[in-house]
Amino acid sequence: MAPPRASMAHRGDEDEVCPVCKSSRYLNPDMEFLINPECYHKMCESCVDRIFSSGPANCPVAGCHKTLRKNRFRKQTFEDINVEREVDIRRRVMQILNRREEEFDSKRAYDDFLEQREEIIANLVYGTDVAKTEANLQQYASSNVRSIRANQALEEKEATYFQEQQTQEQELARMRRQAAKMEYENERREVLAGREDVLTRLASGRPADAAAIARQGQKVLLKKSSARRSEEERIRQKQAALRNSDAKKSGQPAARAAGQDDGGFIKGLKRIKTPEPEKPYDPFGGLVPGKRDYFTQSESYPSSYLEPIRQNAQIQAGGFDLREYYSRTLLEAFAGLGCFIDEEVSERDSAAPLSVGQPVSTTGQS
Amino acid sequence: MKFFIDDLPVLFPYPRIYPEQYAYMCDLKKALDVGGHCVLEMPSGTGKTVSLLSLIVAYQQHKPEHRKLIYCSRTMSEIEKALAELKELMKFRSQQLGYTEDFRALGLTSRKNLCLNPSVKREKSGAVVDARCRSLTAGFVKEKKERGEDVELCIYHENLDLLEPHNLVPPGVFTLDGLLKYGEEHKQCPYFSARRMMPFCNVIIYSYHYLLDPKIAERVSKEFSKDSIIVFDEAHNIDNVCIESLSIDITEDSLRKATRGANNLERKITDMKSSDAEKLQNEYTKLVEGLREAEQSREEEQFISNPVLPDDLLKEAVPGNIRRAEHFVGFLKRFIEYLKTRMKVTHTISETPPSFLTHVKDLTYIERKPLRFCAERLTSLVRTLELINIEDYQPLQEVATFATLVATYDKGFQLILEPFESEAATVPNPILHFTCLDAAIAIRPVFDRFRSVIITSGTLSPLEMYPKMLGFNAVLQESYSMTLARRSFLPMIVTRGSDQAQISSSFQIRNDPGVVRNYGNIVLDFSRVTPDGVVVFFPSYLYMESIISMWQGMGILDSIWNYKLILVETPDAQESSLALETYRTACCNGRGAILFCVARGKVSEGIDFDHHYGRAVLCIGVPFQYTESRILKARLEFLRENYRIRENDFLSFDAMRHAAQCLGRVLRGKDDYGVMVLADRRFQKKRTQLPKWISQAMLDSETNLSTDMAVSTAKNFLRTMAQPFKTRDQEGISTWSLEDLERHREKQMLEDERVRREAVANGHAMDGITHGGAVTAADEFDDEIDEDLMMLDAQ
Repeated sequence: MAPPRASMAHRGDEDEVCPVCKSSRYLNPDMEFLINPECYHKMCESCVDRIFSSGPANCPVAGCHKTLRKNRFRKQTFEDINVEREVDIRRRVMQILNRREEEFDSKRAYDDFLEQREEIIANLVYGTDVAKTEANLQQYASSNVRSIRANQALEEKEATYFQEQQTQEQELARMRRQAAKMEYENERREVLAGREDVLTRLASGRPADAAAIARQGQKVLLKKSSARRSEEERIRQKQAALRNSDAKKSGQPAARAAGQDDGGFIKGLKRIKTPEPEKPYDPFGGLVPGKRDYFTQSESYPSSYLEPIRQNAQIQAGGFDLREYYSRTLLEAFAGLGCFIDEEVSERDSAAPLSVGQPVSTTGQS
Repeated sequence: MKFFIDDLPVLFPYPRIYPEQYAYMCDLKKALDVGGHCVLEMPSGTGKTVSLLSLIVAYQQHKPEHRKLIYCSRTMSEIEKALAELKELMKFRSQQLGYTEDFRALGLTSRKNLCLNPSVKREKSGAVVDARCRSLTAGFVKEKKERGEDVELCIYHENLDLLEPHNLVPPGVFTLDGLLKYGEEHKQCPYFSARRMMPFCNVIIYSYHYLLDPKIAERVSKEFSKDSIIVFDEAHNIDNVCIESLSIDITEDSLRKATRGANNLERKITDMKSSDAEKLQNEYTKLVEGLREAEQSREEEQFISNPVLPDDLLKEAVPGNIRRAEHFVGFLKRFIEYLKTRMKVTHTISETPPSFLTHVKDLTYIERKPLRFCAERLTSLVRTLELINIEDYQPLQEVATFATLVATYDKGFQLILEPFESEAATVPNPILHFTCLDAAIAIRPVFDRFRSVIITSGTLSPLEMYPKMLGFNAVLQESYSMTLARRSFLPMIVTRGSDQAQISSSFQIRNDPGVVRNYGNIVLDFSRVTPDGVVVFFPSYLYMESIISMWQGMGILDSIWNYKLILVETPDAQESSLALETYRTACCNGRGAILFCVARGKVSEGIDFDHHYGRAVLCIGVPFQYTESRILKARLEFLRENYRIRENDFLSFDAMRHAAQCLGRVLRGKDDYGVMVLADRRFQKKRTQLPKWISQAMLDSETNLSTDMAVSTAKNFLRTMAQPFKTRDQEGISTWSLEDLERHREKQMLEDERVRREAVANGHAMDGITHGGAVTAADEFDDEIDEDLMMLDAQ
């Protein structure tokens, strides 16, 4: 929130004189000075009215032949006129060269861009190579209209978002302040009420109970205060949770596609990548379930020991299937082929701190 | 004497020890063994420093790891005192042990106090001395000299290079005075000797700022190892020190000077461009590469260092738009101009750093990141330009520091712009306060970095406030009472005047003639009954002035004049010290005097009124802070929102710690005696917030007195005190000889044994509970101790 700037006090400059009409603040305490961003010559309000009311005219300052219009006169923001001018130029340049850090490959590239921008501004301010710089700038502006617009919109969005957040925060702070005040008041009231209560009960009760009543009153007070504390804690937690969810909901504005060709004016911009089309979903993540690497299982294997089992209906009636047995035996026989424990161990040891938690997958099977 | 705590042999340089000193050492040792931070409150004048030093030195010498001790105190005189104490201790140790230990201890203070160079020493202001010293000792000056240019060097500093770098001064303890003398004899710079010898010292004694102020700490205290023992003595104001070290005030005048500084810089840059463009180019390439000048920043004579705490420092390259020197100067100018426009408002503004940053960006297109690097970039530029008259750039440096801080911290800071000095003023004199609200920010790195931090003072009550405010967990919080053979101080709360009307300095009634007269009568009566010196504390200068002028009108001052000389403290330091001197003379020649001073002034902190210099202290009114101040309001709100400390709790805590400080002024040892009077109705409720040793000595009957009763009690007390009192009477009660100590230990051992046996007998029913407790306690020292305490309570 920008505090009001209108109420500038004039002080310490009683002998300020308008360079055009030579009237001083001593005679005219309400004198306001205006400037025109064409030439930044300062003059008082009445001079502006007098000279420019009937349309554009030349600047009255000797040697300055700029044509000025009344509607462009404004108040000076900064005391130093050079800074004022620099900020005006900066505003214009920043509106055009408004690339953001996300759009660059590296920090270094972004820093280079920042410096380049600073260089351009300096050129314009100090009048070196103005024509060339301006031309560059114009060219960039025309060829990057879209990205400039997008970035501007983004910036605006961020600003409003920030503003919203600020007001929200202030509101919350105000509420908290009020709550604290209320709480304090309540507590005081309760203490007073409790005391009164004890007093009335003491007045109406028997003298023998006096100590008991007093003690009870004390206890009630304590209990109340502790109950309030826990209540308070709960409310606070709720508030905190609320705030967090808010923050998540309205998180950072989404990143968007970067700009188009900029004619090589700014280096180090990120290439725009088109996202690859999504592949169909594969539940096994590339694994084929029944596939074996080293063998194919056949229907039966000759074995004098297993043959009777095959024939025996009594055994098979229970659901025993020799194929299960084959499959398991073969798997065990081939397990561990193609993995070299020595290599993996030495590899793991060399990269010790990283792979400590990961088990070596194949060793356990034999 | 020599005794053992557990298995640690402690050499104590006096033949007698106070029981609370022994308890203090035992607890200290426990805390050091466990590792963790502790808060210890020990009555003033009971030899806190010597017990601390003798225990820690014993600990250092006994344990193989030789943990370094860093002892921080507040003022130079306190540092000197501690050093002298340490010197005595080491002398005693070597006598007892029969050999001299390899031990080094040094104190460090500002260049102004340690300079020997005759031309530099002459300067009065500390900043000028610093700047002059830098111009004579900086690295580039020396390079120039080697190149054959005609530049001046400091001979004291040059001589250091001829010595062995790790043995600039011989082992032993050097007081500041001793160091100066040694430096003069050997023609070597005491300041730099101390600075460079710091890594080799066993004990270092210096002021808080060297550890807390990030601008200095980065340079001075960076290298201490993690297991160093940090002690903050007289730490009752430590939160304020933390806050001040990160707060900045900017005025119009300082902005004007900063502009001048920026213009000078610009000129220097153009000069250098024409003469020595290569240097600027070098700096530029370095910044482009993002190289921190690691080896250079270690140099002691750095111009300004980053005000940001080490853990927040960015490990990044300086952003591109302030990489070039001329761009950076333009950037600074723009920022200063912006601040100037802000100064032109006519009403008070209070805003948070983020909103300030947005406004800066709207108006001048200055972004957060380059602002953050401001201080660092300026340092680098100044170094490159090889500026000599650095004191001219002080305001510019302030602005840069401000820029860095405001862009680094979102929370815990507030910008407050006050266009007028007071409510009534019509001539604007705008001040931009950038205030730190969170004391924990500055001290957090200390707690994080070091294993044992000990916070100790005479007045730290309520103890739990400090861990809360400073954001740490204390493994040990203890308040010790004072063992006395006779009741040697008399604290009283006076709530009514002789006419039974209540007295209070609360805003509604403070100017009532009745209240003023009652206060006057208290002062008058006490000046009549008390021998020698009386000290009276008021809540503020404003109130003191108004009440004194009213007393003048009522003729009270004239009556006081019959008994005592009246002296008044003023905001002017010179006047006050003159008043103090006169006061002491008057006390010494037997007439006695009464000193009016302010509870938050210079006198209330650090000036002792021992023995006849102070026989009575009166605290007129509760010394609350000025609650209308914007800064205080912001801080209170911050404390409420973040630490859940309520406004009133904090205000009352703050008032009571100042009141306790004031009361502590008169009692500086066990043979001292004095009356302490708290004259306000509101003290009655706040009694619990006084330090344990004061509130314990206060009888219930003396908490609600009227003036006449208080005076007669005081009269009685003073009469008792006037009876002859032999030191022998104290023995075994408030001072222990070695035998008493042995006896106490034996008793304690028996007690422990009994407790253990009972615990065993109490049996297995408790077993399950203890077991559960032990499991949870394993990860949290804090709990463990609580658990133990609970166990003790249970039995």
